[in-house]
Amino acid sequence: MNERVALAYKQQPRKWIANIALAIIILFFVAISFTGSTINWYRLANFSQSFNTMIRGIVDINWAFFFGIDGFQFSEGIVYKTLETLAMAFLGTMIGAVLALPFGFLAAVNVVGKKWAKVSEALLVLIRVFPEIILAIILIKGFGMTPLTGVLTIGIHSIGMLGKLFAEAIDNMDRSSLEALDSVGASTWQKILYGIIPNIMPDLTSVSLYRFDINVRSASILGIIGAGGIGAPLLIAANNWSWNMLGTVLLAIILMVLAVDFISSYLRNKLV
Amino acid sequence: MIRFVNVFKTYDNGVQALKGVSLTINDGEFVAIIGLSGAGKSTLLRSINKMHAITSGQLLVDDVDVAQLKGKQLRLLRRSIGMIFQSFNLVKRMSVYKNVLAGRVAYHSTVTSLGFFPREDRYIALEALDTMGILEKAFTRVDQLSGGQQQRVALARSLAQKPKIILADEPVASLDPITTVQVMNDFSKINRDFGITIVANMHHVDLALKYAKRIIGIRDGLIVYDGPSKDINDKILESIYGRSLAHDEVLGVE
Amino acid sequence: MAHPFNLSSGKSVRIPFNRTIVVFVIIALLTIGFSFFIPVKWHLIRIDQLWVIFSRLFTPSHSRTWGDYFSFMLTLGDPLLATLQMSLAGTVIGCVLAVPVAVLAARNIFKSKIISIPVKLLMNLVRTIPTMILAILATFFVGLGILSGIIAIAIFSFGIMAKMLYEAIETVDMGPFEALESTGANKIVAFQHAVVSQIAPIFISYTIYIFEINIRASAVLGYVGAGGIGAVIKNNILYNYDRVGATIIVMLVVILIVQFTSNYIRRKLQ
Repeated sequence: MNERVALAYKQQPRKWIANIALAIIILFFVAISFTGSTINWYRLANFSQSFNTMIRGIVDINWAFFFGIDGFQFSEGIVYKTLETLAMAFLGTMIGAVLALPFGFLAAVNVVGKKWAKVSEALLVLIRVFPEIILAIILIKGFGMTPLTGVLTIGIHSIGMLGKLFAEAIDNMDRSSLEALDSVGASTWQKILYGIIPNIMPDLTSVSLYRFDINVRSASILGIIGAGGIGAPLLIAANNWSWNMLGTVLLAIILMVLAVDFISSYLRNKLV
Repeated sequence: MIRFVNVFKTYDNGVQALKGVSLTINDGEFVAIIGLSGAGKSTLLRSINKMHAITSGQLLVDDVDVAQLKGKQLRLLRRSIGMIFQSFNLVKRMSVYKNVLAGRVAYHSTVTSLGFFPREDRYIALEALDTMGILEKAFTRVDQLSGGQQQRVALARSLAQKPKIILADEPVASLDPITTVQVMNDFSKINRDFGITIVANMHHVDLALKYAKRIIGIRDGLIVYDGPSKDINDKILESIYGRSLAHDEVLGVE
Repeated sequence: MAHPFNLSSGKSVRIPFNRTIVVFVIIALLTIGFSFFIPVKWHLIRIDQLWVIFSRLFTPSHSRTWGDYFSFMLTLGDPLLATLQMSLAGTVIGCVLAVPVAVLAARNIFKSKIISIPVKLLMNLVRTIPTMILAILATFFVGLGILSGIIAIAIFSFGIMAKMLYEAIETVDMGPFEALESTGANKIVAFQHAVVSQIAPIFISYTIYIFEINIRASAVLGYVGAGGIGAVIKNNILYNYDRVGATIIVMLVVILIVQFTSNYIRRKLQ
């Protein structure tokens, strides 16, 4: 064989060494994570039995509790709590979407220029970085342990999440319609109304629907710390190890999330 | 040697792509297949390495009945046949070198080919790249190369197989005129220097006439011309295409 | 439908109903309807409390000093490590387990639907249950501590990764796969050399993205007993607001670092 080929053979990059090393390091960290946990060995050994008890309890749905009849008040019933959770998610997403719109404009490089966009972006990052639970813990002191707090938590968090996505949508927008409006002599407000808003509406709505989908899951959790929604009965059931109450709650959550997933995907597909 | 004996191919949806094709291609020939889109060129080509299975008739490659082959035997056949595609079919994010190495996988069992390639294979791959004149691009990502260079990488991959036959399905249809000529020259060189049989579907008639010594004209699943390219005239072309040539079927090369 | 417009050319045009108005009406109705579930109990609202809380979070209390405030942050090293371990282990395990499932579910590898549909159904089910609930269930089996967090995060990561991965596999370019089959490789080998090399960078990118999501979740999983920083908050929330505040600050800093690093790496992968 010739020299060129021999030289090329020597020069072949050997990336696999770095990849294997990285994989080993990660696996090492994963392995040591398992030490020092308190494992309930008794329960683990009888896993199938406890699992059985759990499953049997879970599928034995307490329908009275579910619908809030027969000794349960409607407002204590799971159906009511589910609707309350949905309300929290819906209103929270609405507030978030509406307030995120001006933020989106303020964080779009095409609108305010790089400097101000970075400032607004930093602000949004600050809002986003709070896990919702932490935000809720703080807000509960100001607004009480009511679903209103949940709405506000979700709303504020969504501003952070949606603000960034809105800004991206505005930045990636097709400018050609703006050019056309310029040529017919439209004012700035008119350009926004007829050029920008119609162009980005599908993106904004799609993103907001996806956010609603995620917010429904968050709303179910917030009840655990008292911000309203189905999290409260969930926590009570879990603390009492009451499997059939837990099962009732889980059923509601699964149905709710599946329904919202389905609707949200359907609507988002129609938008594209 | 490739031999078709009264081959028929009907697809599941009822379309009859080949209606009794008989021909023989000897080792070392450079054959171009021309005809309208949908006339059966692709089907004809892909039956040779059983990418499409024929429905009746006999297809023999080096006296082996292709229709009977399956599993390991089929893979051994395919190993000795290289295939070039119009869209190159390279893994764009991988390096040129790794793409060409992939041509050697059929020489190993499943288990060993999941690991590392032996030294000999690596040399074969690099030699193939050198033959195609793109050794210096060996460790570049494929998507950073031009179309012509990518098709050369594909050719190198086929060469790495050490094939007896190379099938090319409209290999230059996506390339610009200048690169087209370069790639067609590459095919000629491979045919001349290594004695590899070339069977190519060509979209551009003048290219086919220029580079291939023998032309097979297909129309509607039947062979309507099989002879030397120098004997082609307008009347024959009309019988293949059913009309005079469209302007995009002539590349305009000298 | 509005009244038809009769044009001078004799043609008649009906302008179709403006769908946007219908959408607006629906949204308005939903908003009003849902707001019935959110009663505003004015007597519970004390905005001034917010300011009080803020100050109590971020100033030392109980005759502690600023030195104590900051040195408390240093004691968070262990819980922080626990949280990181929880997310890393959970993410890696969940994502790796998702690979074979995604391959099974992808329609272009195993053409039969008998496999892909039930697998997809299972994936959807797993994804509907929020991570925290999974953690609560896990504590029943494995007790308190990060193992329950690892399990919860692993299950959650599995659900997301499996779906994203099978969608990526289904949209992969099958050209190289076909080419490799034509050289005589069998399906497994062709898959390895043609499909895996296309999917691998996507898989790594998704894993990092999921890790980023999980860091935020695991920081609070401690609240339901899974250990880590969340447990610190839970333990201090009643009497030591200043420690809660310090913990929150540390948590935010860590989340920010993870976010920046992950964005950077993912951009480099492109």
